[in-house]
Amino acid sequence: MPEWLVIARREFVERVRTIWFLIVTLLGPVAMTALMVVPAWLTVRASRETVIIQVVDRSGHKLFPDLVTGAALAGVNFDLKEAPPGADDAHLLQSIREEKINGFLVIPPDALAGQSATYRGDNASNFRIKVSLVQALNYAAVKARASAAGIAAATFDSLRSPPVDVVAQTDNGSGQATSGEASFMTGFVVMFILYMSILLYAVNVLRSVIQEKTSRVVEIVISAASPRALMLGKVIGVGGVGLFQLGIWAVISLGLIHFRAEVLGLFGLSGSGFALPPLSVVDVAIILAYFALGYFLYAAIYAAIGAMVSSEQEAQQLQMPVVLLLILPVACVQMVSNDPRGGAAQLLTAVPFWSPVLMPMRYLLGGATWTEVATSLAILLLSIAAVVAVAGRIYRIGVLMYGKRPSLRELGRWIRYS
Amino acid sequence: MSGELRPPVLRLRGVTKRYGDFLAVGDLSVEIPSGVIYGMLGPNGAGKTTTLRMVNDILAPDEGEIRLFDDLRPGRIAGRRIGYLPEERGLYPKMRVADELRFFGELRGLGRRVASQRAGRWLERLDLTQWARNKVQDLSKGMQQKVQFAAALLHEPELLILDEPWSGLDPINAEVLREIVVAERDAGRTILFSTHLMEQAEQICDHVCLIVRGRKVLDGPLDRIKREAAGDRLVALDFVDPAAEARARDSVLADPSLVSAMRARRGYLEVEMAGRGQEPADRLLAQLVGQGIGLRRFELVQPSLHQIFVDKVGAENSQKVGTAEVARA
Repeated sequence: MPEWLVIARREFVERVRTIWFLIVTLLGPVAMTALMVVPAWLTVRASRETVIIQVVDRSGHKLFPDLVTGAALAGVNFDLKEAPPGADDAHLLQSIREEKINGFLVIPPDALAGQSATYRGDNASNFRIKVSLVQALNYAAVKARASAAGIAAATFDSLRSPPVDVVAQTDNGSGQATSGEASFMTGFVVMFILYMSILLYAVNVLRSVIQEKTSRVVEIVISAASPRALMLGKVIGVGGVGLFQLGIWAVISLGLIHFRAEVLGLFGLSGSGFALPPLSVVDVAIILAYFALGYFLYAAIYAAIGAMVSSEQEAQQLQMPVVLLLILPVACVQMVSNDPRGGAAQLLTAVPFWSPVLMPMRYLLGGATWTEVATSLAILLLSIAAVVAVAGRIYRIGVLMYGKRPSLRELGRWIRYS
Repeated sequence: MSGELRPPVLRLRGVTKRYGDFLAVGDLSVEIPSGVIYGMLGPNGAGKTTTLRMVNDILAPDEGEIRLFDDLRPGRIAGRRIGYLPEERGLYPKMRVADELRFFGELRGLGRRVASQRAGRWLERLDLTQWARNKVQDLSKGMQQKVQFAAALLHEPELLILDEPWSGLDPINAEVLREIVVAERDAGRTILFSTHLMEQAEQICDHVCLIVRGRKVLDGPLDRIKREAAGDRLVALDFVDPAAEARARDSVLADPSLVSAMRARRGYLEVEMAGRGQEPADRLLAQLVGQGIGLRRFELVQPSLHQIFVDKVGAENSQKVGTAEVARA
């Protein structure tokens, strides 16, 4: 058996055997169930909750009754109460503090002339509240204007129904449309899992390298196996644990999605949670390929960092730039999801450090052509070759160094001379 | 045991290694005969660890060549016939003892089953069988050191390389290691170790070489080195009383054609003769007896390895032996 395989097997077996592996592997399904149940539960709870709002109508058009009608059309469960036009702000604020009301809406005298109404409340940051209030006020204002223009209330209402709606579908021109929301959810979940698992397992490589140094076992190992074989075996062994764990989670989550109605039923909730569109074999293959390559890229960098330091505390500082490198694409998620075919998305998914996280998402959103996927994979592979070559040199010398951390100049010498 | 007729197990020719401007090993040429215990001696920083690392293919020499066994270069193939115990040594703390030994056996090319069997046998030999399924971190430091010896020997290497093997060992484990080393030599294997502790080397080595500042100063079978260094020139003297010693110092011992140097030792006076061979010593004894100086001891002695070492490195640095200062002097 070649040395790298002996090393990879040791890493794999020793990790899988620990109680922590068991705990984390079991926590995965718990988290997944929570991910499914909690949003559904929150949605149910939010729909049951009543939002109490005092309305101060200073417009002089008696908008309140129509406002109530308009609010009933919105998705939020409003309980609107009319306050006299002269109501005092301080008094209303007092009511918010005493939690008698959530907030109050002030309709100004020139509301129909375009002056904005003001809402102040403890839930003003809730986007749905704001949108619903705008809808309700618009309804009341338009109805008042219609009435002023001599349109009967019955005519007005008949003009409003049936309501029109827009259904958004993701389509890259192939004609195979999927639901925009579901695509986004799938893409987002995949992106997040990739980000988490790449970071998690690459950091495991770092810790494994440091532990070999601190336990002083590394020189015995590299007298029997080359540093390259040690690094390779370690990266593959730890990555194998990652794939194994992700595999277990994938099977469990497929089961959870399949039986989601039953699972939600267990918690007394009806509905189907998020309806994730089914992933094809090709989709899964692409996701796994980007995990494997992204992991390999970052694991090699982390192995080199581990070789440069003597303790995990020291590693904390050095790994900051690498973590930032990996967080950046997560911060840019919206640039890709808002316009998967745009220039920003194209650029972001070509960069090797970011494509492992962003490209599967962009691909699932239908924003990437096969040429683009192939190009980004090729760039990623070339970058891995370059990074592994450099990291291997740093690792080769670094693992035998104890104590002092190398300066950038020394690091350059390691890379040139080894 | 001279071992000079056997083919060498390891040959270094003109080996040089630099770290930047620092010369760690300079033009080093040595041959290690098979079946001997070979001590590589020198102060800290002399280049011993660097040399051993090059033999183990952990470092590559800048110049020169290293050949092992039947003309092999350092590397994977030769590595399977070498056992190595580095100075910085440890074990995976969370592995079970038996698994850890098997891992190192497999790493050196043993099959899984053979590695397991030998691990069991070594644990028995070292009296650690009952700990086989414990984690390494549960063992005492002394027990862990024994496991390290076993890990280096599990694949039955022809050449065993030990870097400062006695550093950090308690007296009991030092004795265990000494027994293992001698037993392995008697089984026909070759042991190459480095040390800066001359007493350890003197007790156990067949061959030694002395390295100072990366360069070889001296090498050969230990008994020959001692004989040559002595040249029958050292005489230990002890007198019946201080007055007798004073008389001797004023007369016979003050003759520069007879005596070149004197050193007060614990309980005796060490006299270095000006000439070589038996004859000057006979003359010294005759003159002392002729003058009626009362003697309790008159003995031709061999210098200790420590003494040879000090002489070679430089007498003025004798207090600093064993430190890197010697190398820079």
